Amino acid sequence: MTIQKNLQGSTLTIAPEGRLDTITSPQFESELRADMNTVTDLILDLANLTYISSAGLRVILSAQKVMSKKGTMVLRNVRPEIMEIFEITGFSSFLTIE
Amino acid sequence: MQTKKTISGTFLKWLFLIVAVAFAVSMVFSWTLQTRLSKKSAYNLLRLNIADVRQDVIDASDANLLALTRDIAGEIDGGAATDEAGLAALMERHDVSEINLINAEGIITVTTHADFLNYDMRSGKQSAEFLGLLDGTEQWHVQSYQPTSYDATLLRKYAGVCLTKGGFVEVAYDAERFQRDIDHQIVGVTRNRHVGENGCIIIADVNWNIVSDRNRNEGKNLDVTGIWIDRPTMPENTVFTAEVYGETCSCMYTFSEGYYIVAVLPENEILLQRDTSVRLTAALEVLVFLSLFAVIFLLVRKLVVNNIRSVNNSLSKITDGDLDEQVNVRSNTEFASLSDDINETVSTLKQYIAAAAARIDRELAFAKNIQQSALPSVFPPYPDRKDLNLFATMDTAKEVGGDFYDFYFLEDNKLALLVADVSGKGIPAAMFMMTGKTVLRDYAERGDAPAVAAFNANNKLCEGNDAEMFITAWMGYLETDTGLVRFVNAGHNPPVLIRDGRAEFITQKADLTLAAMDGVPYREQTLQLMPGDLLFLYTDGVTEAANASEELFGNNRLREALSKRFGSGEAAVRAVCGTVKEAVGAFAGDTPQADDITMLCLYYAGNNTLAVAAKTDELPTVTGFVNRALEGLGCPETAAAQLDIAVEEIFANIANYAYGSEPGDVTIRVRSEDSAAVIEFRDRGVAFNPLEKPDPDVSLPAEKREIGGLGIFMVKKSMDDVTYQRDNDENVLTIRKNFTK
Repeated sequence: MTIQKNLQGSTLTIAPEGRLDTITSPQFESELRADMNTVTDLILDLANLTYISSAGLRVILSAQKVMSKKGTMVLRNVRPEIMEIFEITGFSSFLTIE
Repeated sequence: MQTKKTISGTFLKWLFLIVAVAFAVSMVFSWTLQTRLSKKSAYNLLRLNIADVRQDVIDASDANLLALTRDIAGEIDGGAATDEAGLAALMERHDVSEINLINAEGIITVTTHADFLNYDMRSGKQSAEFLGLLDGTEQWHVQSYQPTSYDATLLRKYAGVCLTKGGFVEVAYDAERFQRDIDHQIVGVTRNRHVGENGCIIIADVNWNIVSDRNRNEGKNLDVTGIWIDRPTMPENTVFTAEVYGETCSCMYTFSEGYYIVAVLPENEILLQRDTSVRLTAALEVLVFLSLFAVIFLLVRKLVVNNIRSVNNSLSKITDGDLDEQVNVRSNTEFASLSDDINETVSTLKQYIAAAAARIDRELAFAKNIQQSALPSVFPPYPDRKDLNLFATMDTAKEVGGDFYDFYFLEDNKLALLVADVSGKGIPAAMFMMTGKTVLRDYAERGDAPAVAAFNANNKLCEGNDAEMFITAWMGYLETDTGLVRFVNAGHNPPVLIRDGRAEFITQKADLTLAAMDGVPYREQTLQLMPGDLLFLYTDGVTEAANASEELFGNNRLREALSKRFGSGEAAVRAVCGTVKEAVGAFAGDTPQADDITMLCLYYAGNNTLAVAAKTDELPTVTGFVNRALEGLGCPETAAAQLDIAVEEIFANIANYAYGSEPGDVTIRVRSEDSAAVIEFRDRGVAFNPLEKPDPDVSLPAEKREIGGLGIFMVKKSMDDVTYQRDNDENVLTIRKNFTK
C-alpha cells in the first residue's frame, strides 16, 4: 500500500491507498504515530482505500481514542464497501464521517 | 595390400612376352637358316672357283698341246719325214713325249713309242675318243691327262689333229712333260684370283709345294698357309676348316692334273652375309612386331579397356546410390550383352530395394503404432476430473522417435507427469524409450518418490546399456489437492509455468541424465501450482528447431509465444500446444524437422485446496489463492470482497494463535455448494473454537471499545454461516457465503 501524508500546521491529512490488512496496518499505524503528538486535527482521506480488515479497524480505533482527547478526527470520501464494514462493526456510530 | 593389375597392363605384359618369344624363335630360325644358306652358298662358291681354276688349268694345257699338235700336223702335211726317225726328230724339236700317226682305219701306223705300233684305236675307251677325227665329225680332239687304254699305269695327255692325207696325228705329254707344261701355266695363275671378296685359291703340287698363292709363297710348303691336306682322310670337294694365315676359313680342295687346288673363304665373310641377313630380318621383325603390338594394344584399349571404364563409371554411380543409371556400352556384342545384364540386375535390385523399403516402411508404421499406443493418446484423458486438464502431442522426426511423455494417477490425488527424450532417433531410441518409460513407471507405481524413482530407474537403465544411450527426463508428481508438484529433473529442458498470462521457466538446477552413470543421486524439487496455472513440458525438439539460417527457436521465443492468457480447461491445454507448434512451424519455415517434438500441457484448476504455513507473511498467498478460486467458481464480486475479509481474519487468527511459537500448516479449501461459496480452514494447532468468544458490543463509544474480537465478529456478521468443529486433532472452521445477496 502507499500512504499520502499532508501536514499543515497541526492539521494532518493522511490518505492510505489499497488494502489495510494484517500486513499493511502496522505500516499505516507507524505513519500515524509519527505525527500524532503535534496534530490536533486529523483527516483520513479514504478515497482510495478499497479494503479494510480488523487489523485496519484497530489502527483507526486507537487513532480515534487519541484524537478524541486532543482534537478532532474526520474520515472523508469513504467508499461504500468500507462504509459497510464501519456499519457492521458499529464504528460508524463514533467515527466522524463526512 | 596387393596392388591390382590393370587389364591393359596385364595384356601388354603377356603380349610383350609372346612377341618376344616369337621374335626369339624367328631369330633362331632365321639364324639357322641363314647360316646354312650362307654356308651352302659359300661352299658352292668354293666349288665353282675350284672348278673354274681347274678348267683354266686344263684349258691352258689343252690349248698348249693342241697348238703343238697343230704345228706338228702342219709340218707332216708340209712333207716332213713320217718315218720313225722323222717323228722322233719332231718329238725332239717340239719337246713332246710321244707322236703317233693313225691311218684312216684307226690303226697306229707310225709311233715314237714302239709298243703302240699297230694298236687299234677302237680297242680302248680312252683311245676310241679320237675316232671322231676319222669320220669327219671332229677336226681336232684334246684329252685330259689320264691313263691310257693300252696300259692303265701309263698316264698321258693326248691331242689329235686330222691330216690332209687322211688319218690323224696324235701328240702326247708324259707325266714329266705335262708337269712342265702345267707348271708353266699354273704358276701365279691364281695370284689375282678372288674367292668372294677376301677368299683365294691356293695351288700346290703333288708334294704340297705351293705353285700359286696370292701371298706369293710359291715354292714353299703348303704348311706356311696353315692348310694341311691328307688325301686318304679328307675327301675332295668337301669343306674343312683351317687357320689360313691366322684367319679361320672354310676350305675345299680338289686334286686335278696332279695339283691340289684349294679354295679358301674366310668364315667371317661367310657369316657376314648371314649376319647381314639376320640383322635385316631382325630389323624388319622388330618393325612388324611393334606395329602388331601397337595395333593390338589400341584395339584392346578401344574394344575392352575403354568399355570397361565406361561400365565401371556407371557401376560406381550405381554404387553411390543412383539406381536409375543405365549402363550403355554398345560397341560390341559382348559389352552390349554385359550392359543389358547389368541394367537388368540393377532393375531387379531396385525392385527388391523398393520391396524391402516398403516392408521396412510397413514395419516402421507398425512400430510407430506400437509406440503411439504406448503413450496415452486419448484426450481429454480424465473427462470426469474438474481439477485438471491434460493435453500432449508427439511429432517424431522419423517414423519412430526417442521422445516420450506419460501421465498416470499413482493415487486418487497424485498424478505422475513425465516428458523425456532418448538420445538418438529411430528404432534404437524407440526401443530404449519403451524400456525407460516402463522402468520409470514401475518405480513410480511401486511408491517411489520422484527422486527415488529416478535414482532406481537410472541404475536399472545403466545395466547393460551397451549402446551408451541416455535419457533426459522431467518427472513430477502433482498433488491434485494442493497443487504441489514434487519433481526431479534429469538433464531435461526446464518446464514453463504460465500464470496470469505470464510465462516463466522453472529453472532449478538439473541433475544428470538417466542411464549415463549409475549411482548418481537425484534431488527432489518442488513447485507450487495455483489454480488456473498452466504447466508446459516439452523436449528440445521445440527449442532447438532450426530455421533456414540455422538459428534455433530458443527459450526466449518459447516464453514470448506462451506469455499470454490461454483461458482455462481443455481449451487452454490444446491452445498452448497449438500455439507452440504454430510458432515453431512459422519459425522453421521449410526447414525439415530435425528432432522429435513432444509437448505436454497441464492445466491446474485445482480442487481449490491450499496448504500453507500458518504465518501472517503468507497472507498474500492465501488471499490470492482464495480470490482465484472464487473467480473460478463464479463468485460475485461483493460476496468475494466479504469473503476476502473473512479469510484474512480467520487466517490471521490461526497464524497468531494456533501453534504458538511452533511452525504449523493451515489447509484452506474453497468449494461451491448450492450457489454459495464454502471455505474450510484446517489446522493442527491447539483446540480452539473462536466462535465461543463473546461478540464485542458495537454500540459502545470509541473510548470503551476493546481492540480484540473484532475480526471473528466481522466474519460472523458478513458470512451466511460459520461453523467450528474439532475433527481428528484438527480445528475445522467453515464459512459459507451465498452468491446472491
